[in-house]
Amino acid sequence: MDNSNIDFTAIWQQQKVVELNIDELQDKLNRFKKNNLKKLIFSNILLITTIVFVIFIWYKYQPQYLTTKIGIVLVILAMAIFLLVYNKQFSSFNKIDDTQTISNYLKSLTELKTKQKYIQTTMLNMYFIMLSLGIGLYMYEYTLMMTIFWAFFAYGITLTWIGFNWFYIRPKTIKRQQAKLDELISKFEAVNNQLNRE
Amino acid sequence: MEFDEVYKSYWQKIFRLCMGYVNDFELAQDIAQETFIIIWQQLPKFRNESNIGTWIFRIASNNCLRQIEKEKRIIKTDLPINLREEQQESIEPKIQLLYKFISELPEIDRLIISLELEDIKQVEIANIIGVSEVNVRVKIHRIKEKLTQRFKENG
Repeated sequence: MDNSNIDFTAIWQQQKVVELNIDELQDKLNRFKKNNLKKLIFSNILLITTIVFVIFIWYKYQPQYLTTKIGIVLVILAMAIFLLVYNKQFSSFNKIDDTQTISNYLKSLTELKTKQKYIQTTMLNMYFIMLSLGIGLYMYEYTLMMTIFWAFFAYGITLTWIGFNWFYIRPKTIKRQQAKLDELISKFEAVNNQLNRE
Repeated sequence: MEFDEVYKSYWQKIFRLCMGYVNDFELAQDIAQETFIIIWQQLPKFRNESNIGTWIFRIASNNCLRQIEKEKRIIKTDLPINLREEQQESIEPKIQLLYKFISELPEIDRLIISLELEDIKQVEIANIIGVSEVNVRVKIHRIKEKLTQRFKENG
């Protein structure tokens, strides 16, 4: 077919363009930096406060049993690991080279999403296991001071709550996260296939 | 190269590339601005190993593709209503049609044709995309055929 009768380039270049505005861009740049920082600070403060609170309990009540201490350590560790992963999502973990070829960029994106899938699931499982185990161990010393009825009651409530999280909240969260990532992965792969199509 | 200089020389080109990709003025502006934020972040790392244009267009194209990841935004592909009644003598409807047709192509084709229409050499386009020059030439030819076809269908 003859393409010469339409000068696409000439038409293309006559598109109206938004005026360039360096101040607006600078504003956007600052807002972008501030937002990232805010998210980071918020999650850190939240978790650090929790950790400080647990440490405070340790000092204040001086637990006698090893189980209590292991419990506290597990809870703190679970949160610390969560904190670490969460922070990393904002830095090097999420970074892929923006300056590579489109073909490689699409591959990196797919890899990144696959990695995220694995990490999200593993982290969530680990977080729940450590937190539940930690709480269970931590409670032991204090329930010993209770009557049998209240001890069972306390563990009953806690186990129900843990069970609810493990069997309902956790699979639901994982499923939601995975579905989102799977959709992205298949979309990236589809775009990548456009490259190979002749 | 200074950022201001890059911004001034590439803003229009990048904006048009984004516009071809999404065919939505505001969204294109957002994506173009995002692109310059990335360029601003990356510029200190730029070594003169490659052409700055290639380097910038890679960032811009990759950022367009990254939009897939964002919440699904509604992409406007319809023409404004009043446009259909306008006289075809003016160039304006042709511009709108061209951008509409381009934004309806598969993602990679949108980027390739936009780069071609920015008068970027095919060897450089191949370098931006990461495929062979022959492949680029074939693709451009097919895309132009498709666009011509669409224009003819629209009288």
